[in-house]
Amino acid sequence: MLEIKKLTKCFGSQKILNEITLAVKPGEIAFLLGPSGVGKSTLLRVLNNLETIDEGTLLLDGAPLKPHDVGMVFQQFNLFDHMTVETNITFSLIKAAGKTPQEAQLIAHDLLTRYGLSDKALLYPSHLSGGQKQRLAIARSLAMKPRVICLDEPTSALDPMLTNYVAQTIQDLAKDGYVVLVASHDIGLLNKLGCTIYLMKTKGEIAQIAKSSDFEKNPANYPLIKKFIEGHQE
Amino acid sequence: MIDLALITSAAPQLLRGVLVTLQIAFCGSLLGFFGGTLLGIAQTGSSKLLRFLVTMYVTIIRGTPMLLQIMFFFLMLPNLGIHIAPLPTAIIAIGLNSSAYISQIVRSGITSVSQGQIEAATTLGLSRYDITRYIVLPQALRIVLPALGNEFITLIKDSSLASTIGVLELYKRGEIFVSQSYNALGVYTLVGLLYLLITSVVSLLFLKLEHSYRKKHARN
Repeated sequence: MLEIKKLTKCFGSQKILNEITLAVKPGEIAFLLGPSGVGKSTLLRVLNNLETIDEGTLLLDGAPLKPHDVGMVFQQFNLFDHMTVETNITFSLIKAAGKTPQEAQLIAHDLLTRYGLSDKALLYPSHLSGGQKQRLAIARSLAMKPRVICLDEPTSALDPMLTNYVAQTIQDLAKDGYVVLVASHDIGLLNKLGCTIYLMKTKGEIAQIAKSSDFEKNPANYPLIKKFIEGHQE
Repeated sequence: MIDLALITSAAPQLLRGVLVTLQIAFCGSLLGFFGGTLLGIAQTGSSKLLRFLVTMYVTIIRGTPMLLQIMFFFLMLPNLGIHIAPLPTAIIAIGLNSSAYISQIVRSGITSVSQGQIEAATTLGLSRYDITRYIVLPQALRIVLPALGNEFITLIKDSSLASTIGVLELYKRGEIFVSQSYNALGVYTLVGLLYLLITSVVSLLFLKLEHSYRKKHARN
C-alpha cells in the first residue's frame, strides 16, 4: 500500500502541498481532482522524485518509497522522439535495469503486443497517433516494473472520443494490481472510473474524499465534490 | 583571365593545397566539434566554476581575431617547450577557435530540448550521463545541425589564415603560383572556385543530413 503522510511542499514561501495524507491500496485508483494549480501534478512529481519534499513521509508497504517503485505517464507523454517505438522501451531496460538487449527486446515485444503497438515497433513516435503515443508511454513506464503508476492529465492531450479507451486502460492497470494515481480535472474520465476521489483545493489541501460509487449514490453527502463537478459540467 | 594552360599548370600545386586545406578543415572540425560539445555541456551543467571557465574561454576566443590566435599559438608553443610543425599548430588554433563557437551552438541546442525529456528519462531511472549522452545530445545536435554546417563552412574558409604561419594550404599555394605565373587575377579566381567547390560539397552533405533526419521523423 502507498502511504503519503503529512506531505508538505513549498515553492519559496508558497505552500503547494499542505500536509497531504492519503493511502492507496494495490488495485485501487486515486483520482486527484481539482482545478489547475492546486498541486495535483506536483504531488505526482514528488512521488516520482522530480521534486523534493519539505516535510512528510512516503511509504510503500511500510518501507520508504524508492524512485524505481513509481512510474509516470506525462501529460505530453515525453516520448524519446529520436528513438524508435521499441527503443523507447528497451533503452531504459538496458541502461537502467541492466537487462541484455535480447531480454529487453522480449519485454518490449510483450508490452507492445499488449498495447496493440507491435506493428509500430520500428517506427518513430512522430508516426503515432495521440492514443498510440499514450499507450507507448504507459508501456515504457510499465517496462521498468513499478508498483505505483501516476498518470498526469491523461486525457488532456487526446481527442475526447478516446476518453473511454483511456478509462479502460486505467481500470486494467488497477486490475493488474498497480497502485494507480490519476491527476485530472476531466469529469468525463472521472465518471467512467471506479475510484476514490480526492478533491484538492487551493493551498494544496485535500478538501474532500469520496468513493466514486458512494458519490454516485449520494452526491449531496459530498457537497464540495458535487459543486466542483457541477461547475465543470456547466 | 583563366585558360586551359593556366589550369593545367596550376592544378598540381593548387590540388596539393586543397589536400592541406581539407586536412586543416577535417581535423579542425573534429577538434572544434568534440571540444565545443564538451564545453557546451559544461556550460549547461550545474558547476558554477565550469560555467565561469567556459564563459571566460568563449569571451577570449570570440573577442580576439583568429589571425592573432594562430600567431599566438605559433609563437607561444615553442616557448612552452612544444615544438610542432606549422600545420598541427594551425589545426590546434583553428580547432580551439571553432570549439568556442560550437560550444555556443551546442548550448543553445541543449537548452532547446524539452525539460520533459529529461524528466521522463529521470523517472525511468537513467543516470545523468546516460540522459545527457543518449537523450539530450542527439536531440540537441539535430536541432543545431544547420548552425553546425555554417560553422564548418566558416572553418574551411578560415583555414586560409594558416598561410600566415607558412602552412602551404590552398591560399598559400595560390599566392606562390601568382609569383610564378604573374596572373594574379586568374590564379586567385581559380583558388576561389576551389574553395567554393569544397564549401558547396560540405553544404550539400549537411543539407542531405538534415533532409534524412526530417524524413525519418516526419509524420506519415
